[in-house]
Amino acid sequence: MGPLIPLGQISSGWDFIIALIIGIAFGFILEASGFSSSRNITGVFYGYNFVVLRFFFTAVIVAMIGLEYFDYMGWIDLNMIYILPTYLSPMIVGAIIMGVGFIIGGFCPGTSYTAIAIGKLDAIVFTLGLFLGIFIFSEIFPYIEDFYYSGNMGNITISEVLGISNKLFTFIFVIIAVIAFYVTWLIEKKVRKTINPYKFE
Amino acid sequence: MDSITKEKHIPKYINPYFGGVLLGILILFTFYITGRGLGASGAIKSAVVTTVDKVAPTHTESHTFYSKFISRDNSPMSSWLVFESIGVLLGGLLSGALFGRIKKLRVEHSPKITKKTRLIAAAIGGILFGFGSQFGRGCTSGAALSGTASSSFGGLIVMLFLFGTGYAVAYFFRKLWI
Amino acid sequence: MNKNYFILFGLLIVLSGGLLFLPEKTNYVQQSPESLMWDIVQPTRYISTDQVAKLIIEKDPLFQLVDVRPDYDFEAFSLPNSFNIPIDSILTDEANDIFNIEDVNTIFLSDDDIKADQAWVIAKRMGYKSVYVMKGGLNCWIRTIIQPQKPSESAPITEFELYNFRKGASIYFTGAELSTNSDIKQEVNITRKKKETVAEGGC
Repeated sequence: MGPLIPLGQISSGWDFIIALIIGIAFGFILEASGFSSSRNITGVFYGYNFVVLRFFFTAVIVAMIGLEYFDYMGWIDLNMIYILPTYLSPMIVGAIIMGVGFIIGGFCPGTSYTAIAIGKLDAIVFTLGLFLGIFIFSEIFPYIEDFYYSGNMGNITISEVLGISNKLFTFIFVIIAVIAFYVTWLIEKKVRKTINPYKFE
Repeated sequence: MDSITKEKHIPKYINPYFGGVLLGILILFTFYITGRGLGASGAIKSAVVTTVDKVAPTHTESHTFYSKFISRDNSPMSSWLVFESIGVLLGGLLSGALFGRIKKLRVEHSPKITKKTRLIAAAIGGILFGFGSQFGRGCTSGAALSGTASSSFGGLIVMLFLFGTGYAVAYFFRKLWI
Repeated sequence: MNKNYFILFGLLIVLSGGLLFLPEKTNYVQQSPESLMWDIVQPTRYISTDQVAKLIIEKDPLFQLVDVRPDYDFEAFSLPNSFNIPIDSILTDEANDIFNIEDVNTIFLSDDDIKADQAWVIAKRMGYKSVYVMKGGLNCWIRTIIQPQKPSESAPITEFELYNFRKGASIYFTGAELSTNSDIKQEVNITRKKKETVAEGGC
């Protein structure tokens, strides 16, 4: 019955080794799919390369479907899973700032690690920028502490907010994702003048 | 755009849908084994806390932010996310080696801008992203990806607003990319 | 468009659609064996007859008494305001409704505490947390509350206070005056009896 470590099925001494292995798999999949290149990543915003959308949406829906089935089969106890707590206003503000940073920098932390691994200087600079950004945040934290903790909705799930069951939301999300795949395929056909996709290294 | 199609070398990447399926399965098993999702920005936060603590220990002890992460016995660096992030680096190295993408230190930039512009943009982007990631309680991997997969409302919010803002401001920074 | 994509997306849609038609699961969340053993060993689940008497007299709303004896025993004698759920009906929905009331503590009682303990273990496994057992059961109730023993002359003052409380409770529950024995007779009884260490509710 999962989750294995919190329920003691695997001793927590393995924690860090498992983290390392999972990280290696994550990094490998990211790099192999093309996310070590900032120009690949920002393609989704400009319509010449939809790798991010396809990758991201597919991963989310596969994970959601998987979790629901695992829960049904009794293989995992969904109450023991860490659900990201919702702090409404700071999260919205944070996401907006991150969106701008994403467009300007062209990376996100996970992808920047893989880009560093293949020798991209701009990724190294981006990661240093991350360091600096978090440092600035920590230093001014006492002034923004109240805002940081505002809008606390607890570990609320999407189904609690929308009032529909998790399963229904998963299904709707899958439909939205497939529609998005279809639409982006049409767009990409129009933008590509040749059969060579715009992919960068 | 035409100069791009003239590239003689087409990089070998796996199909993004395939990669997505693999990642989805990985997230599923991460939850199954550890009860939590993936993450990336947390490791940098640990690094910041550790560095500030080494340089100015008295400052961190009294500070409301840092003091939460300092403990007597363990360095903040011995955290799950730090090991996972090291793994991400190694995994990227592995994949890069496999597909022949590890080359000398280079700056990847659109032909329309200079290296320097790109580096400055990367720095500014990094600072903004790092700053925002603290409010958002995670980055794309932690909050948007794992959060939405575990049906967290906050995760969905971060995903929508992050990519939504990206689309909204993409036009203004188009010179950087196309 | 590559037909593999159709297969992939078709599969995802079918799988997520299938989620909607899954029947409701009925697996109860069970307490783990180790934690159940630990709880069984704790004496904190026992509530003494004196405490129960106090709760009834004070009309405390936060508790309820559940008598797990068969219904004919319940008809013959029962505590005021107690529910009768014979132990073989403890898993029914009606029983569930009684255990499920928020913030209300359930105290099981039976003749001794054997059946009540069994009921307690079943309720714990079903996941209910605020369940207790009246120690000694109704037999102890009779011995302590209805017919309390007068303590010996050399007993500490607390025992006398307990005895007075029990006498008062007895009057409350039976509505009759207990016949007061003359002190001389009592003394004779006392010298022959061994002094019992009366922990609260000892039976």
